[in-house]
Amino acid sequence: MKKSAVYWLLLPGFVFLAAFMVIPIVLTIGSTFVQENAFTLDGYLHFFKDPYFLKILLTTLQVSVVTTLVCVVLGFPTAYYISRKAPRRKGILLALAIFPLLTSPVVRSFSWMIILGRKGLINNALVGLGLIDQPLDILYTPAAMMIGLTHLFLPLMIISLVGVLENIDQDLLKAAQSLGASRFTAFRRVVFPLAVPGLVIGAVLVFVGSLTAYTTPALLGGKQRVIATFLYQNAMTLNDWYLASVIAAIMIAITFIVVGVMNRMAKTLNPKG
Amino acid sequence: MREKHFGLGLFSLLVFIFLLGPLLIISVTSFEPGTVLKFPPEGFSLRWYENIFKTGGFIRTFQISIIVSLLGNLLALILGIPAAYALSRYDFKGKSLLNAIFLSPVLIPGIVLGFTLMKYLIVVYQLPMYLGLLIGHTIIMLPFIIRVIASSLSSFDFAVEEAALSLGAGRVRTFFQVVLPNIRSGILAAVLIAFLESFNNVDISVFMTGPGVSTLPIQMLTYVENYFDPTIAAISVLLMVLTGLLMFFIERIMGGLTYFTKR
Amino acid sequence: MALLTLDQVSVAYDNQTILKDFSLELEKGKLLSLLGPSGCGKTTTLRLIAGFLEAKQGKFLFGGKDYTRVPVNKRNFGFVFQSYALFPHLSVYDNVAFGLRMRKVKDRDVSERVMRMLEVVNLNGFEKRFPQELSGGQRQRVAIARALVIEPDLLLFDEPLSNLDANLRVNMRVEIRRIQQELGITTLYVSHDQEECFSISDQVAIMNKGIVEQLDRPETIFKYPATEFVARFIGFHNFIEFDERSDAGDAISLKVGGRLFTATANPGTVRPGARKGAIRPDDLIVSGDTGQEAANALPGMIKVSTYLGRSYQYVVETELGDFTANQEMETPYFSGQRVNLIFPQDKLVLVE
Repeated sequence: MKKSAVYWLLLPGFVFLAAFMVIPIVLTIGSTFVQENAFTLDGYLHFFKDPYFLKILLTTLQVSVVTTLVCVVLGFPTAYYISRKAPRRKGILLALAIFPLLTSPVVRSFSWMIILGRKGLINNALVGLGLIDQPLDILYTPAAMMIGLTHLFLPLMIISLVGVLENIDQDLLKAAQSLGASRFTAFRRVVFPLAVPGLVIGAVLVFVGSLTAYTTPALLGGKQRVIATFLYQNAMTLNDWYLASVIAAIMIAITFIVVGVMNRMAKTLNPKG
Repeated sequence: MREKHFGLGLFSLLVFIFLLGPLLIISVTSFEPGTVLKFPPEGFSLRWYENIFKTGGFIRTFQISIIVSLLGNLLALILGIPAAYALSRYDFKGKSLLNAIFLSPVLIPGIVLGFTLMKYLIVVYQLPMYLGLLIGHTIIMLPFIIRVIASSLSSFDFAVEEAALSLGAGRVRTFFQVVLPNIRSGILAAVLIAFLESFNNVDISVFMTGPGVSTLPIQMLTYVENYFDPTIAAISVLLMVLTGLLMFFIERIMGGLTYFTKR
Repeated sequence: MALLTLDQVSVAYDNQTILKDFSLELEKGKLLSLLGPSGCGKTTTLRLIAGFLEAKQGKFLFGGKDYTRVPVNKRNFGFVFQSYALFPHLSVYDNVAFGLRMRKVKDRDVSERVMRMLEVVNLNGFEKRFPQELSGGQRQRVAIARALVIEPDLLLFDEPLSNLDANLRVNMRVEIRRIQQELGITTLYVSHDQEECFSISDQVAIMNKGIVEQLDRPETIFKYPATEFVARFIGFHNFIEFDERSDAGDAISLKVGGRLFTATANPGTVRPGARKGAIRPDDLIVSGDTGQEAANALPGMIKVSTYLGRSYQYVVETELGDFTANQEMETPYFSGQRVNLIFPQDKLVLVE
C-alpha cells in the first residue's frame, strides 16, 4: 500500500471533525478576543471581576473538589474489594458498578429528586421518626449537586481503580508480608503506591466531569448555578452569546489545564517512568 | 490465602446500596397509583406507564432519539472504521496528533461542544435542526467507535490479511472479506456502546431543540420542570430495562466488561 | 532434633484436599528440595510453611515452638517467589531495604546491610535501578538479597529459576547453593526440575499426590529409587514384573517366565519383598550376539531405531514387552534385526 493511502482512510473523519468541531470551537474561542473589530480581553476581565460570576465559578470548583474527594474515599475501598474477588463474582460486581454508568443521567438525577425533596424519602423518614419538625432543604443546594454528581461519577472512579488494582500481582502483597509487613502496612506501602496512576486517571475523570456536568446541576441545583448551567442560561435564555463564548473558552481552558497537570502528576508519581 | 475482609465487604455493600438504591426506589415509585411521587407507593398501578403513551410527546421524541442514534451510529461507523484501521495498522507522520483529534470529542466539555455546534451549524452554516442534531451525535460517538474497534483490531493477526493478499485478493476485497468479518464483534460492541452514549446524551441535544425537534432525555428534562408525577419514573424503568439488555449484549459480545476498566 | 517439623498436617482449598496427614522434617543448615510434578502438593507445603496458607489439621513446629498460628509477618522466613514479586515502584535498594524497615532497623544499619547483601549477590552498583530495568537473572538476585537481608530463620524458594533461560538457570543454581552454604542458612526449595534439585540439595523429597514418595540424599535416589513413581520421574523407562524372588545375602535372584535375572540389593530404601525391576535406557545393553541364553539376558527384535546425536535409541520388542535402550555405536542396528538385551546386575534395581 502506498504511504499516502493511509491519509485517504483518515480524511473523511478528519474533514468531518475539522468542519463541525475544530473550526467552530476555534472560532468560538477566537471570537471572545474580538469586540468591535479590535483585540480585547474585556470579556475575561469582566468575568473575573464580577462577584456573581466568580461565585458561580467558585461553587463549581467547590462542588467538583468535594465530589472528587468523596469518590476517592468511597471508590478506593470498593474497587479494592472488587479486585480481590474471584473472576465470576468480580464480573457480577463490575456489572453492578457499570450499570448506573450506562443509565441515563436524567434518570439518575431524577431519582435523587425523589429522595432529597421536601416531601422526599429522607425528609419523610426524619419527620416520621420525629427527629425534625420541618423538612430540611437538601434539594436545590450545592450538597444535592455533590450527592448527585458523586452518584453519577463514582462508577467511573471504581472501574478506573479496578483496572489498576486487579493488575497488581498478589505475590507482591505476600512478599511484603513475608518481609514483616502487616496486612495494612503491605497495603499502604505496596498496593496504594501502585494504584496511584489509576487513582489519578479516575480523579481527572470525576473532577472534569463534575466541572462540566450539565444535567445533574440543572435538576438538583435549582437556582444554584454552576458554569455549565450558566453557559446554557446565557446562550439560550439570555441570548448573551459573547458571555457564553467566554464561559465556553474558560471551561475548555480549565479542562485542558486539569488534564495536563494530572497527566504530569501521574508521570512523576509513577517512578517506573 | 483465604482472607476475610468483613469491614471492607460491609463498606462496599453500603457503596453499592448508594449506587443502586436510588434506581431501585425510582423503579418502585413508578407503580404509584396516586398523582404524586411517593416512597413507598400507596398501591400498585400501571397507569403512569399508560400515561407515557398518552402525553408529553414521549413516543415522538423516543422515535427521534432512536433515529438520530442509529443514523449517527452509521455515519460514525463509515467515518470511524477506516480511521480506526489506519490508526491501529500503520505508522505514519502525524499519527499521534490525528489520534488525539479523533479522540478529542470526549475531552471537550459536552456543553461547550453543544453550544458551539448550535452557534455555527445552526446559525452560521444554516443547517436544519435535524441535521445539526445528527452531526452532533455523530461527533460524540466517533471516539467510542474508534476506540472499541481499534482495540478489537489490536488483537487481530494482520498476517491473515497478508495471507489473503498473497492469495491474490485485492486490498479492498481483503478488507471487506477478511478483516471486517474478524472484527465483527468489536464493531457490534462499538455500535452498542456508542448508541448508549448518544441515546442518553443531554449536553448536545439541549441546544438542538426546536419546533418539532427534541430527544427523549430533553423531553424528560422539560417534563420534570413542570410536573412531578410518576410518569418519569415509569419511563426510567423502561430505559433501565433497555440499558440492562444492551449491557447484557455488550458483555456477551465482548466476553466480559473489561473494556470499561481499561483506559 | 529437627529445626522444622510438619506433623500430620492437612490442607484443603475449595473443598479439595491437597495435603492429608503430611509430615516432614528438616535439620538446621540443610537444603531440602521438594520435587514433583505439578499438583503434587510441593508448593502448597511451601506456602503452608511460609504462612500464606493455614493448615486445617496438624501442627507446624519450628525451633521447638508451635508456629501453626503465627502470622506470616511474624515468622521471619525469607520467601523467594517464582515471579520474583519485586516491588515495581521501589528501587533495588528500597526493595532490599523493605524488610529491614519493617523491623525498624536504623537507617545507617539498613544501608550497611543492604550494600553488603547486594555484594553477596554480585549486584553492587545496581541499587538505584528499578526492577523493570534489570534482566531476569538480576531480578532473581534482588529477590534473593531481599529475602536474605532480614537474616531469616528459614529460606523458602518457590520455583525460583523457572522463568530464566537454560544457561542462566545453571549459573543461578550454583549461585544459590554458594550463598546458602556460605551463610549456612536452612533452606526449603521447590522445583519440578530434577537436575536442578539434585544438583543443589542435601536432601530431596520426591512428592506425588500429596505424599512424600522418597526422601533421601540425591545420590541415593538417583541410584536406588524407592517406588515406580520415583523411578519413572528420574528417568527409568523400563520395568519388569518378576514372578519369584529369592535373596541370598546381597545377591537377589529373580524369575519371570522361566528366565533368570540377578539384581543388587539396595540399601534399605525398598521393603524386602519388592519384585518390580527397573533399569534406565542408558544402562540397558543391546548386543548383536544372539547365540547364548545367559542370565540377565532377554532376546528381542529391533522395532524402531532413532538417532539421538550421541547415541542411537532402540525400541526392542521382547516376550516381556517393549524396552527402550540407548547405545553409542558406529553403525546402528536395523529395524527387524534380532538382538539380545543385557541387564547388568548392578544397574537393575528393585522398586515398589
